[in-house]
Amino acid sequence: MILQITLLVGLVLFSVLAILAKDLIKSAICLAVSSLLLGVVFFRLGAPYAGVFEISVVAGLITVLFILTIALTKAEGDVRESKLARIAFPLFFVVFALIDALVMKGLLEKIPLLEAAPEAGSFSDVLWRERTFDLVGQLAVILAGVFAVLALFRKRDNHD
Amino acid sequence: MIETWYIYLAAAAALVGAGLYCLLSMRNLIKLFIGIEVVAKGVSLILLATGWARKSVLVAQSLVVTFIVVEVALVATALALIINTTKHTKSLDVRKLSRLKG
Repeated sequence: MILQITLLVGLVLFSVLAILAKDLIKSAICLAVSSLLLGVVFFRLGAPYAGVFEISVVAGLITVLFILTIALTKAEGDVRESKLARIAFPLFFVVFALIDALVMKGLLEKIPLLEAAPEAGSFSDVLWRERTFDLVGQLAVILAGVFAVLALFRKRDNHD
Repeated sequence: MIETWYIYLAAAAALVGAGLYCLLSMRNLIKLFIGIEVVAKGVSLILLATGWARKSVLVAQSLVVTFIVVEVALVATALALIINTTKHTKSLDVRKLSRLKG
């Protein structure tokens, strides 16, 4: 339990660091570390496949994409953030947490709990038999992403 | 089990709050995108934690896997868009995007 809370605190801490860091490379690396911690949390919740996806895809691939983008756009120089944004962050965070703690519990009590049948079978049964439509959707999303990237990076035609 | 679930709920709410603050206050396009990623982390955490608390981890796990795939496609497309708009406007500042003139 204590390990789990430590992991969650680290996750929030590194995410906040990723937002507040001035250097973009540092904030990409902080994001990768927080993904790693989230993957470990998934493992400990009994979801190894989601953990593997989180660590390999989000901590690996997305970090590489971010660093590539930062390197490609480095020539344009840095953007000056407003100083107020960094100073006001703790205030916003405390106010958000207070409102959340006050409102959330009341809201959660109003939502009725659905009946949950105990699960049988393995993860592959659930993923391939019960959630087949999700897989079709995933294929469509991946294809849409590939075509969007291809369309964005195509060479200009001569008559443009 | 429900008390433990509240801890996950608090962590997810903190992540979503931090990401929303980033989206509201920052100006760098890549920073804004890091904010979206942080919100996505909070959402996937609460999806899986709720599945764990309701003893249906398998369905929650397949939903989280779907969510991660969607997230990757989103990131690839949006970063390609950021590179293209940066070439166009010569800056990563999101305020310069308000002049959408050809």
